Amino acid sequence: MTLLLNIVIALVCGAAGFWLRQNTKLSVVEVSAILALTAGLVLPPLLQEGALFALTCTAVSYAAMCSSERCCSYREMLIISAICSLVIYFGQSVLVGIGGRLGTSAAVSVLLCLLAKRFLSPDQAQKAAKG
Amino acid sequence: MWYQLLIFVPLVAAVLDIFNLLSTAFGRILVLAVLVVGVFAALSRPSFKLTTALVRSAVLSCLAALLTFLLSTRLGLGAVVASALVGLVGAQVLKGKDQLVMYMGTFVGMSSALRFPTLGPLLVAGLLGGVLFELTDECWVGVGGRLGTIAAAAVVVVLALIGGI
Repeated sequence: MTLLLNIVIALVCGAAGFWLRQNTKLSVVEVSAILALTAGLVLPPLLQEGALFALTCTAVSYAAMCSSERCCSYREMLIISAICSLVIYFGQSVLVGIGGRLGTSAAVSVLLCLLAKRFLSPDQAQKAAKG
Repeated sequence: MWYQLLIFVPLVAAVLDIFNLLSTAFGRILVLAVLVVGVFAALSRPSFKLTTALVRSAVLSCLAALLTFLLSTRLGLGAVVASALVGLVGAQVLKGKDQLVMYMGTFVGMSSALRFPTLGPLLVAGLLGGVLFELTDECWVGVGGRLGTIAAAAVVVVLALIGGI
Protein backbone atom coordinates (compact mmCIF):
# COMPACT_ATOMS: atom_id res chain seq x y z
CA MET A 1 0.00 0.00 0.00
CA THR A 2 2.86 2.37 0.90
CA LEU A 3 4.57 1.63 -2.41
CA LEU A 4 1.38 2.25 -4.37
CA LEU A 5 0.72 5.54 -2.59
CA ASN A 6 4.37 6.47 -3.11
CA ILE A 7 3.99 5.96 -6.87
CA VAL A 8 0.71 7.91 -7.03
CA ILE A 9 2.18 10.86 -5.10
CA ALA A 10 5.26 10.79 -7.34
CA LEU A 11 3.07 10.88 -10.45
CA VAL A 12 1.10 13.87 -9.12
CA CYS A 13 4.32 15.66 -8.19
CA GLY A 14 5.90 14.90 -11.58
CA ALA A 15 2.85 16.18 -13.44
CA ALA A 16 2.79 19.31 -11.30
CA GLY A 17 6.49 19.92 -11.96
CA PHE A 18 6.06 19.49 -15.71
CA TRP A 19 3.03 21.80 -15.72
CA LEU A 20 4.95 24.47 -13.80
CA ARG A 21 7.85 24.15 -16.26
CA GLN A 22 5.55 24.52 -19.26
CA ASN A 23 3.11 27.15 -18.03
CA THR A 24 5.05 29.50 -15.78
CA LYS A 25 8.16 31.61 -16.13
CA LEU A 26 9.69 30.15 -12.99
CA SER A 27 13.27 28.95 -13.26
CA VAL A 28 14.07 25.23 -12.86
CA VAL A 29 15.44 25.92 -9.39
CA GLU A 30 12.28 27.75 -8.33
CA VAL A 31 10.00 24.99 -9.67
CA SER A 32 11.99 22.30 -7.89
CA ALA A 33 12.25 24.25 -4.63
CA ILE A 34 8.51 25.06 -4.58
CA LEU A 35 7.60 21.40 -5.09
CA ALA A 36 10.09 20.21 -2.48
CA LEU A 37 9.02 22.84 0.06
CA THR A 38 5.34 22.04 -0.38
CA ALA A 39 5.98 18.30 -0.05
CA GLY A 40 8.29 18.79 2.94
CA LEU A 41 5.78 20.93 4.82
CA VAL A 42 2.52 19.19 3.90
CA LEU A 43 3.16 15.45 3.67
CA PRO A 44 5.01 14.53 6.93
CA PRO A 45 2.30 15.82 9.30
CA LEU A 46 -0.48 14.58 7.03
CA LEU A 47 0.45 10.93 6.47
CA GLN A 48 2.11 8.22 8.53
CA GLU A 49 4.73 7.58 5.84
CA GLY A 50 4.77 11.28 4.97
CA ALA A 51 8.54 11.63 5.41
CA LEU A 52 9.19 8.98 2.75
CA PHE A 53 6.63 10.55 0.41
CA ALA A 54 8.26 13.96 0.91
CA LEU A 55 11.62 12.47 -0.06
CA THR A 56 10.07 10.93 -3.17
CA CYS A 57 8.44 14.23 -4.15
CA THR A 58 11.75 16.03 -3.63
CA ALA A 59 13.57 13.55 -5.86
CA VAL A 60 10.83 13.86 -8.49
CA SER A 61 11.15 17.65 -8.31
CA TYR A 62 14.84 17.25 -9.18
CA ALA A 63 13.92 14.98 -12.10
CA ALA A 64 11.49 17.67 -13.24
CA MET A 65 14.51 19.92 -13.80
CA CYS A 66 15.14 18.01 -17.06
CA SER A 67 15.50 20.13 -20.15
CA SER A 68 12.72 19.99 -22.74
CA GLU A 69 15.09 18.09 -25.06
CA ARG A 70 15.54 15.31 -22.49
CA CYS A 71 11.91 15.16 -21.35
CA CYS A 72 9.42 16.57 -23.76
CA SER A 73 6.01 15.22 -22.72
CA TYR A 74 3.79 14.46 -19.74
CA ARG A 75 4.07 10.77 -20.58
CA GLU A 76 7.85 10.80 -20.25
CA MET A 77 7.69 12.84 -17.05
CA LEU A 78 5.20 10.39 -15.54
CA ILE A 79 7.39 7.42 -16.48
CA ILE A 80 10.42 9.13 -14.91
CA SER A 81 8.37 9.92 -11.78
CA ALA A 82 7.23 6.31 -11.43
CA ILE A 83 10.79 5.00 -11.85
CA CYS A 84 12.01 7.60 -9.36
CA SER A 85 9.46 6.53 -6.74
CA LEU A 86 10.62 2.91 -7.12
CA VAL A 87 14.31 3.89 -6.87
CA ILE A 88 13.65 5.90 -3.70
CA TYR A 89 11.46 3.20 -2.16
CA PHE A 90 13.82 0.30 -2.79
CA GLY A 91 16.97 2.34 -2.23
CA GLN A 92 16.13 3.63 1.23
CA SER A 93 19.11 1.89 2.79
CA VAL A 94 21.66 3.04 0.19
CA LEU A 95 23.92 6.08 0.81
CA VAL A 96 21.95 7.00 3.92
CA GLY A 97 22.66 10.51 5.22
CA ILE A 98 24.66 11.52 2.18
CA GLY A 99 23.61 14.82 0.63
CA GLY A 100 22.77 14.49 -3.05
CA ARG A 101 21.33 10.99 -2.67
CA LEU A 102 17.90 12.10 -3.88
CA GLY A 103 19.40 13.90 -6.86
CA THR A 104 21.39 10.80 -7.75
CA SER A 105 18.18 8.75 -7.60
CA ALA A 106 16.49 11.30 -9.85
CA ALA A 107 19.37 11.20 -12.34
CA VAL A 108 19.33 7.40 -12.40
CA SER A 109 15.58 7.48 -13.12
CA VAL A 110 15.97 9.98 -15.94
CA LEU A 111 18.87 8.04 -17.47
CA LEU A 112 16.92 4.76 -17.24
CA CYS A 113 13.99 6.40 -19.02
CA LEU A 114 16.25 7.87 -21.72
CA LEU A 115 17.93 4.51 -22.16
CA ALA A 116 14.57 2.73 -22.49
CA LYS A 117 13.42 5.36 -24.99
CA ARG A 118 16.54 4.82 -27.06
CA PHE A 119 16.11 1.04 -27.10
CA LEU A 120 12.37 1.08 -27.76
CA SER A 121 12.38 3.73 -30.46
CA PRO A 122 15.94 4.25 -31.74
CA ASP A 123 14.78 6.31 -34.76
CA GLN A 124 12.94 8.86 -32.64
CA ALA A 125 15.84 9.08 -30.21
CA GLN A 126 18.25 9.75 -33.09
CA LYS A 127 15.97 12.44 -34.50
CA ALA A 128 15.69 14.07 -31.08
CA ALA A 129 19.47 13.95 -30.66
CA LYS A 130 19.95 15.64 -34.04
CA GLY A 131 17.51 18.25 -32.83
CA MET B 1 35.78 11.37 -22.08
CA TRP B 2 37.44 10.09 -18.89
CA TYR B 3 36.50 13.26 -17.02
CA GLN B 4 32.91 12.00 -17.07
CA LEU B 5 34.02 9.49 -14.44
CA LEU B 6 33.61 12.30 -11.91
CA ILE B 7 29.84 12.24 -12.16
CA PHE B 8 29.82 8.47 -11.72
CA VAL B 9 31.42 8.67 -8.25
CA PRO B 10 28.08 8.44 -6.38
CA LEU B 11 26.91 5.58 -8.58
CA VAL B 12 30.10 3.67 -7.83
CA ALA B 13 29.59 4.47 -4.15
CA ALA B 14 25.96 3.30 -4.29
CA VAL B 15 26.96 -0.06 -5.82
CA LEU B 16 29.69 -0.47 -3.20
CA ASP B 17 27.18 0.42 -0.47
CA ILE B 18 24.71 -2.19 -1.72
CA PHE B 19 27.44 -4.84 -1.34
CA ASN B 20 28.54 -3.38 2.03
CA LEU B 21 31.96 -2.49 0.61
CA LEU B 22 31.77 1.31 0.79
CA SER B 23 33.10 1.60 4.33
CA THR B 24 35.97 -0.81 3.65
CA ALA B 25 39.47 0.29 2.62
CA PHE B 26 38.82 -1.16 -0.85
CA GLY B 27 35.65 0.88 -1.26
CA ARG B 28 37.21 4.13 -0.10
CA ILE B 29 40.30 3.67 -2.29
CA LEU B 30 38.13 2.85 -5.32
CA VAL B 31 36.03 5.99 -4.80
CA LEU B 32 39.14 8.16 -4.44
CA ALA B 33 40.77 6.50 -7.46
CA VAL B 34 37.74 7.30 -9.63
CA LEU B 35 37.91 10.90 -8.41
CA VAL B 36 41.63 11.26 -9.10
CA VAL B 37 41.38 9.82 -12.64
CA GLY B 38 38.35 12.03 -13.34
CA VAL B 39 39.99 15.21 -12.04
CA PHE B 40 43.19 14.63 -14.03
CA ALA B 41 41.17 13.95 -17.18
CA ALA B 42 39.06 17.06 -16.58
CA LEU B 43 42.09 19.29 -16.01
CA SER B 44 43.81 18.00 -19.16
CA ARG B 45 40.83 18.81 -21.40
CA PRO B 46 41.70 21.48 -24.00
CA SER B 47 38.43 23.28 -23.24
CA PHE B 48 39.25 23.60 -19.53
CA LYS B 49 40.43 27.02 -18.41
CA LEU B 50 41.29 27.95 -14.85
CA THR B 51 39.20 31.06 -14.22
CA THR B 52 37.70 32.90 -11.28
CA ALA B 53 34.43 31.09 -12.04
CA LEU B 54 35.89 28.04 -10.32
CA VAL B 55 36.52 29.95 -7.09
CA ARG B 56 33.17 31.73 -7.32
CA SER B 57 31.29 28.44 -7.72
CA ALA B 58 33.23 26.83 -4.87
CA VAL B 59 32.46 29.68 -2.46
CA LEU B 60 28.81 29.90 -3.49
CA SER B 61 28.32 26.17 -3.11
CA CYS B 62 30.08 26.20 0.26
CA LEU B 63 27.88 29.00 1.61
CA ALA B 64 24.69 27.28 0.42
CA ALA B 65 25.81 23.99 1.97
CA LEU B 66 26.59 25.64 5.30
CA LEU B 67 23.31 27.56 5.44
CA THR B 68 21.25 24.49 4.54
CA PHE B 69 23.09 22.28 7.04
CA LEU B 70 22.58 24.80 9.85
CA LEU B 71 18.88 25.26 9.06
CA SER B 72 18.42 21.51 8.78
CA THR B 73 20.33 20.34 11.85
CA ARG B 74 20.52 23.26 14.26
CA LEU B 75 17.06 24.74 13.65
CA GLY B 76 15.55 21.30 13.04
CA LEU B 77 13.79 22.18 9.80
CA GLY B 78 14.82 18.93 8.16
CA ALA B 79 16.94 18.49 5.05
CA VAL B 80 14.14 18.80 2.48
CA VAL B 81 12.62 22.01 3.85
CA ALA B 82 16.02 23.59 4.55
CA SER B 83 17.30 22.88 1.04
CA ALA B 84 14.10 24.08 -0.60
CA LEU B 85 14.04 27.27 1.50
CA VAL B 86 17.64 28.17 0.71
CA GLY B 87 17.05 27.28 -2.94
CA LEU B 88 13.91 29.40 -3.21
CA VAL B 89 15.42 32.44 -1.48
CA GLY B 90 18.70 32.06 -3.37
CA ALA B 91 16.84 31.88 -6.69
CA GLN B 92 15.41 35.36 -6.00
CA VAL B 93 18.89 36.78 -5.50
CA LEU B 94 21.02 34.85 -8.00
CA LYS B 95 20.57 34.35 -11.72
CA GLY B 96 21.68 31.83 -14.36
CA LYS B 97 24.49 29.44 -13.50
CA ASP B 98 24.90 30.88 -10.00
CA GLN B 99 21.38 29.69 -9.18
CA LEU B 100 22.31 26.14 -10.14
CA VAL B 101 25.58 26.20 -8.19
CA MET B 102 23.77 27.52 -5.13
CA TYR B 103 21.06 24.85 -5.40
CA MET B 104 23.73 22.18 -5.80
CA GLY B 105 25.38 23.49 -2.62
CA THR B 106 22.12 23.04 -0.71
CA PHE B 107 22.18 19.34 -1.66
CA VAL B 108 25.60 19.01 -0.01
CA GLY B 109 24.05 20.62 3.08
CA MET B 110 21.28 18.01 3.15
CA SER B 111 23.79 15.54 4.60
CA SER B 112 23.08 14.05 8.00
CA ALA B 113 24.74 15.47 11.12
CA LEU B 114 25.80 11.91 11.86
CA ARG B 115 27.95 11.98 8.72
CA PHE B 116 29.31 15.44 9.49
CA PRO B 117 29.60 15.87 13.27
CA THR B 118 31.76 18.96 12.69
CA LEU B 119 31.41 21.74 10.14
CA GLY B 120 34.94 21.57 8.69
CA PRO B 121 34.49 18.55 6.40
CA LEU B 122 31.08 19.84 5.31
CA LEU B 123 32.65 23.12 4.21
CA VAL B 124 35.28 21.16 2.27
CA ALA B 125 32.50 19.13 0.62
CA GLY B 126 30.75 22.37 -0.29
CA LEU B 127 33.91 23.78 -1.86
CA LEU B 128 34.58 20.52 -3.69
CA GLY B 129 30.99 20.50 -4.98
CA GLY B 130 31.52 23.88 -6.62
CA VAL B 131 34.79 22.71 -8.20
CA LEU B 132 33.19 19.50 -9.49
CA PHE B 133 30.31 21.53 -10.91
CA GLU B 134 32.78 23.46 -13.05
CA LEU B 135 34.78 20.36 -14.01
CA THR B 136 31.66 18.44 -15.11
CA ASP B 137 30.01 21.30 -17.00
CA GLU B 138 29.64 19.15 -20.12
CA CYS B 139 28.35 16.01 -18.38
CA TRP B 140 24.70 14.98 -18.42
CA VAL B 141 23.56 18.40 -19.62
CA GLY B 142 19.79 18.75 -19.22
CA VAL B 143 19.44 15.63 -17.09
CA GLY B 144 17.34 16.21 -13.96
CA GLY B 145 19.24 15.15 -10.85
CA ARG B 146 22.62 16.13 -12.26
CA LEU B 147 23.20 18.70 -9.51
CA GLY B 148 22.40 16.18 -6.80
CA THR B 149 24.77 13.68 -8.36
CA ILE B 150 27.59 16.24 -8.31
CA ALA B 151 26.77 17.07 -4.69
CA ALA B 152 26.76 13.39 -3.75
CA ALA B 153 30.13 12.95 -5.46
CA ALA B 154 31.62 15.74 -3.34
CA VAL B 155 30.12 14.38 -0.12
CA VAL B 156 31.17 10.78 -0.81
CA VAL B 157 34.74 11.82 -1.61
CA VAL B 158 35.11 13.91 1.56
CA LEU B 159 33.60 11.15 3.69
CA ALA B 160 35.92 8.60 2.07
CA LEU B 161 38.87 10.83 2.91
CA ILE B 162 37.95 11.39 6.56
CA GLY B 163 36.64 7.86 7.07
CA GLY B 164 33.11 9.00 7.87
CA ILE B 165 31.46 6.75 5.36
